[in-house]
Amino acid sequence: MIAAIAPITTPSVNWLAIAPEVTIGITAVLVVLARALLRRRPEVTPVAYAITAIGIITAAVLLVVQWNDVQDHGPTRTMAGMVRLDGFGVFLGIVVLIATTMAILVAVAYLRREDLEVPEYLALMLFSAMGMLTMTTANDLIVVFIALEILSIPLYVLAAFDRNRLRSQEAGIKYFVLGAFSSAIFLYGIALVYGATGTTSISGIAIFLRGNVLFEQGTLVAGIALLLVGLGFKVAAVPFHMWTPDVYQGAPSPVTAFMASATKAAGFAALLRVFGVAFLNYRTDWQPIVWALAALTLVVGSIGMLLQVDLKRLLAYSSIAHAGYVLMALQTASPRGREAALFYLFVYTFMVVGSFAIVTVLSMKGDDDHSIAGLKGLAFRRPVLGTLLVLFMLGQAGIPLTGGFIAKLEVFEATANAGEYVLLAIGAVATVIAAFGYLRVAMSVASSPEDEDPVAEGIVHRKVDVATWLVLAVCGGMTLALGITPSVFVHWARDATLLGAHVLTVVL
Amino acid sequence: MSGSRDLLHLAWIIPALPLFGAAFLLLFGKRIGEPVSGWIATALMALAFVWSCVMLMALLDLPMEMRASVLNTNALWSWMPAGALHVDMGTFADPLSITWALLVTGVGTLIHLYSIGYMHGDERYSRFFAYLNLFAASMLILVLGSNFLVTFLGWEGVGLCSYLLISFWFERNSAAVAGKKAFVTNRVGDVGFLLAMFLIFASYGTLNYSAVGPGAHAVSSGTATAIALLLLLAACGKSAQIPLHLWLPDAMEGPTPVSALIHAATMVTAGVFVLCRAHPFLDVSDAGTVVAWVGGITALLAGTVAILQPDIKRALAYSTVSQLGYMFLAVGIHAYAAAVFMVLCHAFYKGCLFLGSGSVIHGNHDVQDMRVMGGFKKYMPYTAFAMVVAWLAIAGVPPLSGFFSKDEIISQAFLRDEYALWVVAILAAAFTAVYMTRLIFLTFYGNERFRVADGPNGAAAGHEALPVISGGSDDDIAVLDHAADAGEVDPDSDPSPTVAYGDPVPEPNGHPPHEAPGLMVLPVMVLAFLAAVAGILNLPFSSMEWLNKFLEPSFRGVPDVKPDSFAQGFGLEMLTFAIAACGIFFAYKLYKKGLEHADRDPLDVKLGGLAHVFGNAYYYDHGISKLVGGPGRAVASWLDRVVDTKVIDGAVNGVGGFFKLLSRGVQEIQDGHVRRYAMGIAIGTVGILLYVVLWIGR
Amino acid sequence: MTVGEFPILSAIIAVPIIGAIICMLTPSNRPEIAKAVGYAATMLNLGLCAWLLWEFQAGVGSFQFVETQKWIPTMGINYTVGVDGISIFMVAITGLLFPLGLLASEKYIEHRVKAYIAWFLFLEGAIMGIFLSLDLIAFFVFWELVLVPMYFLIQGWGSEQRNFAAMKFFIYTAAGSAFLLASTVALAFLHQRATGVLTFDYRVLAAWNGLSGTTELVLFLGFMIAFAIKAPLFPFHTWLPLVHTEAPTAGSVVLAGVIIKMGAYGFIRFSFELFPQASVDMAPIMLVLAVIGIIYGAVVAAMQTDLKRVIAYSSVAHMGFVILGIFSLSVIGIDGAAFTMLSHPLTTGALFLVIGMLYERRHTREIAAYRGIWKSAPVLGGLFLIAIFAGIGLPGFSGFVGEFLSLLGTFVYDKPYAIVATLGVILAAVYGLWAFQRAFTGKPSGENATMKDINFRELVVVVPLLALSLFLGLYPKPALDRIEPSVKERVANLEKKSDYRQPKPSGIVKKIQQSSEAGK
Repeated sequence: MIAAIAPITTPSVNWLAIAPEVTIGITAVLVVLARALLRRRPEVTPVAYAITAIGIITAAVLLVVQWNDVQDHGPTRTMAGMVRLDGFGVFLGIVVLIATTMAILVAVAYLRREDLEVPEYLALMLFSAMGMLTMTTANDLIVVFIALEILSIPLYVLAAFDRNRLRSQEAGIKYFVLGAFSSAIFLYGIALVYGATGTTSISGIAIFLRGNVLFEQGTLVAGIALLLVGLGFKVAAVPFHMWTPDVYQGAPSPVTAFMASATKAAGFAALLRVFGVAFLNYRTDWQPIVWALAALTLVVGSIGMLLQVDLKRLLAYSSIAHAGYVLMALQTASPRGREAALFYLFVYTFMVVGSFAIVTVLSMKGDDDHSIAGLKGLAFRRPVLGTLLVLFMLGQAGIPLTGGFIAKLEVFEATANAGEYVLLAIGAVATVIAAFGYLRVAMSVASSPEDEDPVAEGIVHRKVDVATWLVLAVCGGMTLALGITPSVFVHWARDATLLGAHVLTVVL
Repeated sequence: MSGSRDLLHLAWIIPALPLFGAAFLLLFGKRIGEPVSGWIATALMALAFVWSCVMLMALLDLPMEMRASVLNTNALWSWMPAGALHVDMGTFADPLSITWALLVTGVGTLIHLYSIGYMHGDERYSRFFAYLNLFAASMLILVLGSNFLVTFLGWEGVGLCSYLLISFWFERNSAAVAGKKAFVTNRVGDVGFLLAMFLIFASYGTLNYSAVGPGAHAVSSGTATAIALLLLLAACGKSAQIPLHLWLPDAMEGPTPVSALIHAATMVTAGVFVLCRAHPFLDVSDAGTVVAWVGGITALLAGTVAILQPDIKRALAYSTVSQLGYMFLAVGIHAYAAAVFMVLCHAFYKGCLFLGSGSVIHGNHDVQDMRVMGGFKKYMPYTAFAMVVAWLAIAGVPPLSGFFSKDEIISQAFLRDEYALWVVAILAAAFTAVYMTRLIFLTFYGNERFRVADGPNGAAAGHEALPVISGGSDDDIAVLDHAADAGEVDPDSDPSPTVAYGDPVPEPNGHPPHEAPGLMVLPVMVLAFLAAVAGILNLPFSSMEWLNKFLEPSFRGVPDVKPDSFAQGFGLEMLTFAIAACGIFFAYKLYKKGLEHADRDPLDVKLGGLAHVFGNAYYYDHGISKLVGGPGRAVASWLDRVVDTKVIDGAVNGVGGFFKLLSRGVQEIQDGHVRRYAMGIAIGTVGILLYVVLWIGR
Repeated sequence: MTVGEFPILSAIIAVPIIGAIICMLTPSNRPEIAKAVGYAATMLNLGLCAWLLWEFQAGVGSFQFVETQKWIPTMGINYTVGVDGISIFMVAITGLLFPLGLLASEKYIEHRVKAYIAWFLFLEGAIMGIFLSLDLIAFFVFWELVLVPMYFLIQGWGSEQRNFAAMKFFIYTAAGSAFLLASTVALAFLHQRATGVLTFDYRVLAAWNGLSGTTELVLFLGFMIAFAIKAPLFPFHTWLPLVHTEAPTAGSVVLAGVIIKMGAYGFIRFSFELFPQASVDMAPIMLVLAVIGIIYGAVVAAMQTDLKRVIAYSSVAHMGFVILGIFSLSVIGIDGAAFTMLSHPLTTGALFLVIGMLYERRHTREIAAYRGIWKSAPVLGGLFLIAIFAGIGLPGFSGFVGEFLSLLGTFVYDKPYAIVATLGVILAAVYGLWAFQRAFTGKPSGENATMKDINFRELVVVVPLLALSLFLGLYPKPALDRIEPSVKERVANLEKKSDYRQPKPSGIVKKIQQSSEAGK
């Protein structure tokens, strides 16, 4: 145990490995600076946007460079193995960045409508994104924890960002309190694992567990369990999900979009890495737990959707259910499973951001009314919006020719491949239950409108800005593309995992 | 000779002619209209008759042993090739089928002719003839088919047409119901036919008639019995034998020519035909006894019912059932030729009687209640004459056809040592004589009860509509819809003229009847003539049994029983005649003066309590309707309202409801309190840790 | 002109879908353009189907016109289509029903014509895909896709309870599909584990026979639930009457015509091939359910007061005959089933079309509201009566051929089922004629007395179906000749892969032939 403490030396740094995080971080700082310098001048908004744009584009480029680098030279570790650059991380990094970008684009119109401070908003988003990016490449439990905090704290603020809305404040507080709670558990888990293995390095743990047999596994397994809880909270796995409906509903819609997509991706990045790599040898121990979590999450999430009258709440439960499918994939602890998980997160990002983008557009000033009944006749008043919303719903319901179907199919294949037929059946049934929820939305959208319904009539004259259109176009297009010609994307996910799977063979 | 065989292969033309007529009239009949369409239909039937005669010639041209040969079959096209099943759409011309073809086309033509007059002025004139043609065509397909399936095609076609014709005046609820009743009841028989075919195929691998003869001996007698009994069920449906006879009296709702066509010439004899066709099964099994007894009992019971019917057509209907019983009896005792002989003669005299009764009703302003007839002889002499001839024929007075045909069967029963059946047959013969005599005297002789008490000038009273029917016809309502139709009292649907036993006597309408137009009289006369002379077809003298000889090839291998001595044969005949004479005399005593009180029938009085049993046909029909309309209906609606709606669909919706309930639960846990959420996390954590500990434990 | 290299099957799937897309792009205020597109697409597809029928080789049991495209190779999924004797007629009948359905909708659909036609076309494409796919995932994709247009057709253009009906239809059938998908995936991976090849190709999986008894049974059940719900097999039928009453006329026609055939088709195509032993072992249970369906459907149909519900329940009975024939496991029986699947759309389609016409005239389907309309509308009544008789299996119409063969096959396989099922013949007459009597006979009054008779357009819609039914009833050979080879192959495969041996009718037939030879 004592031997694990090493003398402090400055480790070598492969800057490429951390470039995107750093870039995003710098961008965030710059935005804050801009705010500080320009104060309340009107230019501040465009400037902030400009900086953000530049930062994100740079980060995107860097991610692509990373990807190619990984493709060519395989995964590398740096900063004393704290960070690991591999296809898996880069892939999720891309997902996170895409999600962030779209969330910001959606926010543009929203912020103007609710006249909220743009720079702060952007800064917070970027800080959180930075945390997420760190998370995707983190190769040490400590780093994971730090990333977790970096991404969470801005989110707490963002959730409460709309100071005009009490709901928003409430959401922020709830999220914060519970988040802190789960972080504590997570930290405790790290401690226990460290106690059992003498290291916090993920690959280190893996090697240790491969090389040694523990006399008493209690500490380790308990640690594993607590880590699971901590991360399970972030990805909203049942029974750690209860914050989700309230927070998703309360938080500003673009933020919710961000949470549902990027945060989930980041959370699963950690889960997949920690459990798929560090504790791979102990999978027989944690698989049953994840199995149970997955089943619970699927069932509760799907059932929760059935009677919701509020679209955002419904989407919250749906996001829980989706977490269930990714957990199914995680449960298999196989490369195929990891591939499925990655693809699922990729697909889901587009469907969920698209949905929330529409929610943002439809919700009145004050961002308070998201009732499903209010959607009545949308297909006739705003055919394009209506059709898109239906598309996203069908996609999440897993109807063929949408990415949702392929993603679920991938997960089911992985589960079947692992021989988990019962879980497979549960997943299949859950899709049906959930379908009811999604169809209720579709039905409301497609049902013929009542006349002189002021709320609905208002929708007809709602302006939709270019940014949002762009997001909607991308999301809609991807949802279909992923369903009709998924091959290329599936390939990416596969490459990512193949490289990720090398982890144990790579010389440390 | 082979030329004549090629000719026989053209037998398909016989049904083709009326079939074409039906199609043509259905499409263009409306435009052609009355009376041309009637003449077209009649002409086509006549042509078919002519062609049947040609077939007969061709058949006679063949040597005896070739007349029923397989080679007489002509496959037009392959109908149902599936797996081992190979069924051709083809004809089989042998003495049996050609005999029937002649009967159907011959009598059919006369009936068509009659209808031209009878249906005069009906709004669906052309459609009626289309149906008639279709009916004849189906019947011809039935008899000429080369295998059971083709026969079944005709069999069902006949059923369809009887439905269409019986409910021809569908504006009248009772007619619509009667038609459906006929079809449904027949369907019960059809199940027998279908199952018989299945069994035949399962044990023979084919449905061709050519295979039946040799095949029958190849299967176990158990199978043969089963097949025979299933076919009997089918035959009971079509030929209105107990227990499936109940549709026939209601069939009187149809226009009279229909009754004639259905009862005399065609449909009802289909059962006899099929049993004759399938006779090998009867020969090798004991099913014959059952057939014979079904026939015998039907003959007797139907006779008892017929003696009290006030409705002239209903009386004839029951008479038909009874006569058919004779035919079944004959088939049952393997006296097939006798059965066929009876079929022919019956067609003539019963056809005559029905058409005659039609004329009577037509002439009597659509009143068919004999209690308000009487003395019509004076007003419609020709009809009266014809019907008297037919009466004597059916009653079995020598030398008219009925005497020979019926006697043939009765003596065969005796000669084949079926004494019990013989007694039954004789009793039935007595009843026949009674009810026919009653019918004739109530109609044509005795007091003129159509006159209103205070003379013809009170006729005005008679103008008030036709007799309003009480419960009677409602009780007869067919399967399942007893309650519904009894419930639907719709003022705007015409009342049925049919009278059931126990219905009140209608107001006499005061008008004297008038003779039917020549077009209608002619066929009646022709039939009367045939009824008189048809006996010569098969005189009981060894050298003159032409029909028997002609049919022999079709009934190859069936033993023919002859009286040991002329004395024995003659004795039997005389006995039959004596019985008939007694019956006639008995009825004559009762009815020679008609009825002094229209509502009091002397025979009714004589029989006392028994009368109600007879008159109401042993309450069999009432019973069935009550059973089906009551419990049957109850079960059905229980299945619909409870099982389907509540149980099955309830379960389906229940699943949905269950999940919604869970969903509500999930929502209620979400009460918005952070502490509870934290608790959730805590519980989850503890749960997992517990699992871990337990896991460590083992 | 011959098919040659032309990908006709893909064309048959694509044409309607492309039509749907074009239709979406037409201006909403010009419905006539959308209509034109609709007719063009459906007629073109009908032409393609006719061409396919023409080119289809009779007497060949295997698949014809097979095409394969890679779709998701990493997941072993391809797009493979092909047609054989069993699917060809389902394709043909689909091609026939859609133009007629569109024509029948002329008056019925006034609002949002464009969307209606688009969904309708999309539906046709999806259905075609089901009958043509030879890849299990592709099959499932189309299987699920059918739900979407059907859902929106019911929800958008249905009657009072349309929302509930649409939802119930979607969820109930999707519930079945869930098990279908699960079993499919499981099957593929069991195959992969055994052979190392990951594929969903129907032919490959059908050739493989490595499932253990229980696994096979479980997977069979997974497929069965999906198919039984669609078929619909008693007791999974309750969605059908509801959906029928709520769906627009064309929807009902397609639903009764082809959509409920998907289930039966699935049984023949997949259950037999993939799970032979399980099919054999489960046959008795399936037969029992089928027999119950026949009797029960007929009895309940008789009690209905809504014309569409009567026909809906009668469909339950008819599908009972189909399932009966299929699980008789005999060539004759399956011939009968496949033939019924071809003939039932004709008669039931005609019935629903006529009911639709009545509805357009009187805006009710309540039998009680009608009376004696045979008098005021003789042709309409006549056609309805013909359709009824054709439907209840009157010889001479196609319905009888299928029914007879199904029953005959079953009788040879196991007598009791056939004997009970045959009683359905009586009940069929009861519900059919009683419904007709209540609605069409008697003295018409009020609106019924002045009801308009059928017009030319409506005549064009109904007559082809009945004419075809009559033709196939008198001369089913062309159809049977194409169906049978494929059926023979199925049954042979079944005998090869299970302990089942087809019962043969006794050999007496030979003796008879000989003796009749002697007779000559």
